[in-house]
Amino acid sequence: MNLQVAREIETLKRAILALGAVVEDSVLKAGKAVVQRDPVLAEEVIAADFKIDQMEVDLEEDGLKVLALHQPVAIDLRFIVAVLRINSDLERIGDLAVNLAERALFLSSRSPVDVPGQFSEMTARAESMLEKSLDSLVNMNVETARSVIAADDEVDLLNREMYRIMYDLIRRDPDRLECFVHLISAARHIERIADHATNIAEDVVYMNTGEIIRHKPEDFREAKD
Amino acid sequence: MKKRPFIWFIYPTNLLVAVLSLSVLLWYGADYLTDFYYQQKAEDLEVRARLTGSRVLEAVSGLEGRERVRRVNDLCRELGRSSNMRITVVLQGGEVIGDSEEDPARMDNHAGRPEIRKALGGETGLSLRYSATLEENLMYVAVPLDERPELGVVRVSVPVTSLEQIPRRVLTRFATVSVVVLLAAAGLSFLVARRIVKPLEIMKSGAEELARGKLETRLPVSRWEEIGSLAEEMNRMAASLDDRIRRETSQKNEMEAVLGSMAEGVLALDLKERVLSLNRAARAHLGVRGEDVVGRTMMEVVRNPALHELVVDTLSGKEPVEGEVIFRDREEKYLQVHGTVLRDSGSVAIGALIVMNDVTRLRKLEEIRRDFVANASHEIRTPVTSIKGFVETLLDGALEDKETTERFLEIIGRHADRLNAIVEDLLSLSSIEKVSGREEVSLEERALQEVVEEAIELCRAGARKKDVALKVRCGEDITARVNPSLLVQAVVNLVDNAVKFSLEGGEVEVQCHRRGAIAVIEVRDRGCGIAREDIPRLFERFYRADKARSRELGGTGLGLAIVKHIVQVHGGEVTVDSEIGQGSTFAINLPAASDRPASEGGAGEGVP
Repeated sequence: MNLQVAREIETLKRAILALGAVVEDSVLKAGKAVVQRDPVLAEEVIAADFKIDQMEVDLEEDGLKVLALHQPVAIDLRFIVAVLRINSDLERIGDLAVNLAERALFLSSRSPVDVPGQFSEMTARAESMLEKSLDSLVNMNVETARSVIAADDEVDLLNREMYRIMYDLIRRDPDRLECFVHLISAARHIERIADHATNIAEDVVYMNTGEIIRHKPEDFREAKD
Repeated sequence: MKKRPFIWFIYPTNLLVAVLSLSVLLWYGADYLTDFYYQQKAEDLEVRARLTGSRVLEAVSGLEGRERVRRVNDLCRELGRSSNMRITVVLQGGEVIGDSEEDPARMDNHAGRPEIRKALGGETGLSLRYSATLEENLMYVAVPLDERPELGVVRVSVPVTSLEQIPRRVLTRFATVSVVVLLAAAGLSFLVARRIVKPLEIMKSGAEELARGKLETRLPVSRWEEIGSLAEEMNRMAASLDDRIRRETSQKNEMEAVLGSMAEGVLALDLKERVLSLNRAARAHLGVRGEDVVGRTMMEVVRNPALHELVVDTLSGKEPVEGEVIFRDREEKYLQVHGTVLRDSGSVAIGALIVMNDVTRLRKLEEIRRDFVANASHEIRTPVTSIKGFVETLLDGALEDKETTERFLEIIGRHADRLNAIVEDLLSLSSIEKVSGREEVSLEERALQEVVEEAIELCRAGARKKDVALKVRCGEDITARVNPSLLVQAVVNLVDNAVKFSLEGGEVEVQCHRRGAIAVIEVRDRGCGIAREDIPRLFERFYRADKARSRELGGTGLGLAIVKHIVQVHGGEVTVDSEIGQGSTFAINLPAASDRPASEGGAGEGVP
């Protein structure tokens, strides 16, 4: 491996992990902000988005530069392509965290509603999926990545349950409709975050095996933990 | 360069020296022997020549002329035949008058022959020549007759081949013996060479052991000076190395023990943010899983952006860097982090040193304190504000209207009651805390049924007002060591809460049973339940789970805190199990056989 290319790849790896860390932090904060009705935390998340966007742009430019200057091949090429994709997924997760924070801001400005347990459950799972997907990136571990992909179904199920619960709550307590609608929205954001975490995991699989498994989840599902 | 065995140097050299010496000796010997032999032969010939000369003179005394010559010749022939030599007699002029082989008349003048010339000069003449006549090398020795050259010269000669043969035979025999000697020498010198090399080989294997790390090995000291000293020095070196390494290892172990026992986490990074070392506490604080952490970048090991920023700041030279890092994953963790530049012995920056302290408990306590103060102020301010408001309204003119005045005063009274209740609760809580911290609470063995019945009585009025049914299920035989008044108060608080949070027409059940050595009092309601996030903080002073609803329902917010303290004073614990929409079950667990509690929990949340 060309030494120069190896160094560039190291730098890219560091950068994507840094971005991953900031995004992970935002997601955790946003989740807490919704449940604890904490506007301060929510504001922090919204403020951090600027930095996330900046990091995403820098990473994309650096990645393209390596491709242009060094024309890497084989595993290096796969790595850079995967990094560029993950970069974009992370930025989207960052945006979703901001959306979540905005829901938190609204909810904290009104009197509290009961947040269904399923919401916390979904949030926890989505956060775990994001964490595991970044772990699998760090360790280049395909098993961990596959477990993330497998976990997405549960989150989708919980999201559907959330809808049902919320419909029920709306019927029983129509005065609090606005809050419930925001909660539904928040749940959807979480579900999207989980989807993006799945994308990241798929990219990690691609990076390691060269196989694109985006559209055939049945073939690659592992036994759930 | 490939190394070859030393013996390949010693042995061939030895052998070469032996061979050369022998060869030189042999060659010189041969040479000398040949010379010697020739010398001997020459001398021998000279003697014979003289003898022959005297015989000739004897034989020809008294003879003259031709007879003389003939006599000489005959004598030559005779003597030559019997002695196997060639004898020639030559006159002063060079004419040959007698010869043992040839006819003298046919022989040419011999005056020119070197040996004859010399003899004619009065000395012994010697010459080695190839004779054309006989076609071989001959040695000639010529002496003047009776020392008087004028009488003539007698010359004796022998073919040299015989002479040449003898030294050759001797030489061959010598050579054979030499080869044998050489073979023996070869064998011997091989053994000697081995013996020389052997101590070196022993040292070599000893050195190999040392190199492999077995520093206890000691080399045997040979009695030869150089080799022995070398072995001694090497042994000394091994001992000093061993000692030094032991000292370094023990120092390193000490340092590792120190780092490993610290409660503070220590993380060392190099300039590229790669982990140099991580102690056990740091691993726990940062939640690092996995063994191979050294050498990986910090971000690979712990993905916390605040920590990363701190590290970057430290590495960029800003000193010292301090900050708080929050971990939000499983449970919240607050770390106080301090970063300094890591320098080597030459004060060159080689990385960053991060020291971290877990201040989660501290922050949590601060949060509780903050919340308590906020809640307490709020709780107290609300009635006070109301009272103030009403008083002002009265002073403003409402005093005129008697009805309004009465109503307002009633309201003021209610608020004052509320304030009173808060103050009472606070006092009672603080007194319980004080008690549980210092004095001993008197406990006596009582049937729980009594306690429960008493509590139920006190709550009946409130329950009836809300049309909530109170059920009791308690066996008479369940006893525990209790302080009756305190325990009644605790159960009352729980039942009150249960009633408060039940729906109209609902039901509250109080049940006692025994679980092993523990007596349990359970209060169950089917009310709205408590959210999971609120449960850990439920027993804090003034903590309200569902803020809006519980204030509506009244109460001071201190009820559960009081329950918790009372139960702790009894050496037990209180637990809650609840689900939103289903209801809650509070359980008081009391040790049936009371051991005096160490009750540190009682004075734990030392809030002013």
